[in-house]
Amino acid sequence: MSYIEVNNLKKDFIVKKKREKGRLLREKETVHALKGVSFSVDKGELVGYIGPNGAGKSTTVKVLSGILTPDGGEVNVGGIVPWNERKKHVKNIGVVFGQRSQLWWDVPIIDSYSLLKDIYRIPQGDYESRLKELTNALQLDSIMRTPLRLLSLGQRMRAELCGSLLHRPELLFLDEPTIGLDAVSKLSLRDFLKWENREYGTTIMLTTHDMEDIAALCSRVMVLGHGQKLFDGRLGDLLEKYDTVRNVSVRYDGDANGLRLPEGVKYKQTEEGLELSYDPSRLPTSQLLGILQEAGNIRELTLQPENTDHLIAAMYKELDL
Amino acid sequence: MNTLRLYFKSIGMLLKSHLQYPSSFIMQTLAQLVMEGSEMMVVILIVDRFERLKGWSGGNLYFFFGVMSVSFYLTELFGRGITGDFPMMVRTGRLDTFLVRPRGVLTQVLCAGTDPRRITCIAVGIVSLIIGSGISGISWSFAKVLVLAESISMSCLLILGLFMIEAIFSIFSVKSVELVNAITYGGRSACQYPIDIYPLPLRALFTVIAPFALTMHVPAAWIMDKPLYGWPAWTAFVTPLSGAVVFVVMSVFFHLAMRHYRSTGS
Repeated sequence: MSYIEVNNLKKDFIVKKKREKGRLLREKETVHALKGVSFSVDKGELVGYIGPNGAGKSTTVKVLSGILTPDGGEVNVGGIVPWNERKKHVKNIGVVFGQRSQLWWDVPIIDSYSLLKDIYRIPQGDYESRLKELTNALQLDSIMRTPLRLLSLGQRMRAELCGSLLHRPELLFLDEPTIGLDAVSKLSLRDFLKWENREYGTTIMLTTHDMEDIAALCSRVMVLGHGQKLFDGRLGDLLEKYDTVRNVSVRYDGDANGLRLPEGVKYKQTEEGLELSYDPSRLPTSQLLGILQEAGNIRELTLQPENTDHLIAAMYKELDL
Repeated sequence: MNTLRLYFKSIGMLLKSHLQYPSSFIMQTLAQLVMEGSEMMVVILIVDRFERLKGWSGGNLYFFFGVMSVSFYLTELFGRGITGDFPMMVRTGRLDTFLVRPRGVLTQVLCAGTDPRRITCIAVGIVSLIIGSGISGISWSFAKVLVLAESISMSCLLILGLFMIEAIFSIFSVKSVELVNAITYGGRSACQYPIDIYPLPLRALFTVIAPFALTMHVPAAWIMDKPLYGWPAWTAFVTPLSGAVVFVVMSVFFHLAMRHYRSTGS
């Protein structure tokens, strides 16, 4: 049996609609946040969990971390049913919510850690060595005595990560950890997560909208939409399916005369040169290059796939999300 | 024991964060003094005008007022998580962060709130207790000190229990403030005066549903050697325990309600 087993997980929410005129009670509507999701995750896996807003990502994480009780289905994490044995379960997990803090707002972060030590009943020696290790890995030295409210977003996220890993959880949930971070912070955060995963075999489940996070970190990706699992596998396989557009930009020496582009190729003339996009399954790349070469003397040519965000957008569109 | 240590460490840290803004803290603490001081002024005026209220002397009134002030504001000082901040914790999703830690939810909620500004209100209450005791000429004995301590601590549990009704409603995202305030803040205003000056329906409300009369008036009246309704001495020891009963019942409901907690979106 795998470390995490999720079987036919269901969760409904009752949403009250706005009261209509002349009615005493508001109408209620049931929203099916999860309509029978199943998957399993092995120990030490790094899994990305993506989907548009409202797909049920956070709901899944909340059920797996014991915050919510589902309306149906089975969940087993390391032999424990999260909502039945909440306290025993959460000892083994760490959760980082991208947009809400787990540390105390007005006090130096070192004080927050010391309180977390008591909350998780971490032995003093173990706490000290782990704190030292995380401080080094996350470069927290210079901000240890700064209150959380004075930290930048990137610093705050590093501080949150340290807080959620002090008790050495086997399983770490990250809910949009890189939201709003600058490029440098994102890169160092990803490096840290890889290191933690490699060093301790920590299983990591990551929800994100940032495809680069997935590409850099996750060997496996799950796509969720309308409360159902739509894809589960390697990111490469997912992209291949929707990788239908190539972009080419060409610059000629002088004018390109008599360029005749076949149908299905979109092009745009800009000051830099010519921008083209085409579908390689319908028009072989070699054929297109031939046509381009005949038209004149090429000075510069770049060929690249559509960026990942566009691919995901295309996928969401096709799946009607 | 570990839980108690955690509680005081948390409260210590919250105090530190309050003191991060010292001038605001001092101003608000003084404002509380004015507020509770004017409440006491009402009692002083009543005593000055009437001298007696249904057989209760002025000293007796100060004593009743003192028991209520001390109990109510001790609860607000140490139980702010329940008496004030809880609905906010639900709305902002802070409750989620408690649920992912290996400690009781109620423990963490209580660890997450304190209102040190209430210290001046408690001081007013203590002054009122001392004046009341002096004028009433209470002859203190060990048993009476014990009953007073029991009365105050059980009243705190009662008040905490009543505020938990509001907490339970907010778990289901129901706004109930006015309804619940009627028995919490309403109870404070009404029951700082002896219960037997009120008509029967109010007396029933504050004896059976929100038993302030049992946790405060019965023991306080016995301490002043004027047993309420002429009840025997043992009632002064036993009836305050109703506060603990209310607290336990509400804790059970609270935990049942948490099962239906829906969290907020992110």
